[in-house]
Amino acid sequence: MDLREELKSEIDGKTISYCFSCGMCTGGCPSARLNEKYNPRRILHRAVIEGKIENDIWLCTNCYTCQERCPTKTKVADIISFMRRIYVKEKGIPEFIKPLVTNLQNCGFTAPIGELENKRRERMGLPPMKTNDEIRKIIEKTGGGVK
Amino acid sequence: MKNRYAYFIGCTIPFRASNYDQATKKVAEKLGIELTDLPDAGCCGLYFELINEMTYLSMAARVLSMAEEKKLDLMVLCNGCNGSLYRANKKLKENPELKDKVNEVLAEVGREYKGTIEVKHLIRVLYEDVGIERIREKITNPLTNVKAAAHYGCHLLKPSEEIMFDDPHNPVSLDRLIEVTGAKSVDYYDKQQCCGGYVLAADAKTAYRMTGEKLAHVKAAGADMLITGCPFCNVMYDANQKAAETETGQQYKIPVLHYPQLLALAMGIDAKELGFEQNRVRPDMKLFLKE
Repeated sequence: MDLREELKSEIDGKTISYCFSCGMCTGGCPSARLNEKYNPRRILHRAVIEGKIENDIWLCTNCYTCQERCPTKTKVADIISFMRRIYVKEKGIPEFIKPLVTNLQNCGFTAPIGELENKRRERMGLPPMKTNDEIRKIIEKTGGGVK
Repeated sequence: MKNRYAYFIGCTIPFRASNYDQATKKVAEKLGIELTDLPDAGCCGLYFELINEMTYLSMAARVLSMAEEKKLDLMVLCNGCNGSLYRANKKLKENPELKDKVNEVLAEVGREYKGTIEVKHLIRVLYEDVGIERIREKITNPLTNVKAAAHYGCHLLKPSEEIMFDDPHNPVSLDRLIEVTGAKSVDYYDKQQCCGGYVLAADAKTAYRMTGEKLAHVKAAGADMLITGCPFCNVMYDANQKAAETETGQQYKIPVLHYPQLLALAMGIDAKELGFEQNRVRPDMKLFLKE
C-alpha cells in the first residue's frame, strides 16, 4: 500500500494532513539538536511529498516534545512510531532491536533475569522474578517476533 | 484514600535497579500502602509499539488482566511501562472491537482483559492518591542539607492529551515531592530534556551525548544529586554516566537517586535498607544526617 494511504488508514496517522511544515517539532527535538541526520520535519514532509520512509525514523527518542509543541496538533511522535511499524512490516525488525525481542520470546523480559539478579533481590528482601512462556505465545500468535 | 495496588516492576528494575523496588516497598510500608507483587508478569509490551501493534496491545492487556484478577488498580514504577500500559488501557477501553481482538489473543494463554482498572505511576500515586500533606506527617529526618535536581522523564507526563497528569511543559509534582523531604529542589537549564535511553540501541553516541547534556546542566546548577522516577532514565544517568563522560570528554560525578530512596531517608529509614550498593555514583551519605 502507498505510505500516504496507509497513514490515512489510522487515527493518529491521519493527523499528518494537519502539518504545514513549520518546524516547531524539529526546533524542540533533542535528537535533532545532537544529530544532523535526524529531522522530524523532514520525515513528515518526505512522507507526504514522496510517500517514503527512511532509516532515520529509528533516531526518534519518543520523548513527545514535538507532539506537545505542535501548533496544529499533528501527532508527530505517534506518526513516527506508526512509520516504524510500517517499516518493520516491509523490511523486518532492525538488527539492533532483535536481541530485545529474542529475550522476550525466551523469558518474557527484555533482558534475562537469572540467578545473579534474583540472588541480589533475595539479599534485598524482594521476591524472585519468574520467567514465563505466555509472552512467547502472544508474540507467536500475533506474528510480532523474530522469525 | 486508596491504599491497595497491584504492583508492576517491569524488566529494567529486576535486571538493573532492584534498589528502586526495595526503596519503594519501604516507603509504601511507612505510608500504609499495600502492594501485591506480580512476579510472573514479565514485560509491559512497550517495544512492540514500534514493531507490531497487536503484539503490544496483547502484552499490555495481559499485564492489566493480572491486576483486574486481583480487583486492584495497577501501580507502575517505570515511565516506559506507564506510557505503554496507561495508553493501551485507554485505547482498549475506548475500542470494544479492538478489545475483542486482543481477547482472542489472550484466550491462547487463558486470560481475559475486561477494562476495569486504572494504571498509575508511583509519582502520581504519591502526589495524587497519598498527597503531600500525608507524606509530610511521616518525615522525621528532614534533608535540609540536600540540593536535588528533579528529572521527570517523558512518559510520566506525555503524551499529555492522554496521560493528563501534571503540566508537561512546567511540571511541579516531583519538585513538590522533593521539597516535602526538606531538600531544596534546584532548578536547572532544559529540565524537561529526555535521557536518550530510547535511542541507545539505535545510536549510542546521540544517546550518551543527550545524557551528558543534562548531567552538565545539573552540575552547573550546583545540585548535589539528580532524582529520577524511572529506572531506565536512572540507568542512563547513573550506570551509564561513565559512558556519557567518555563520549563528551567531561566529568560529572552526579549521584542519581530513585525518588523513594530520597523519601525513605527523610522518613528515617536506614540507608542500609535502600539498596545504595546498586547506585554506581555514590552520594555523600553525610548529606542525609541530621545537623
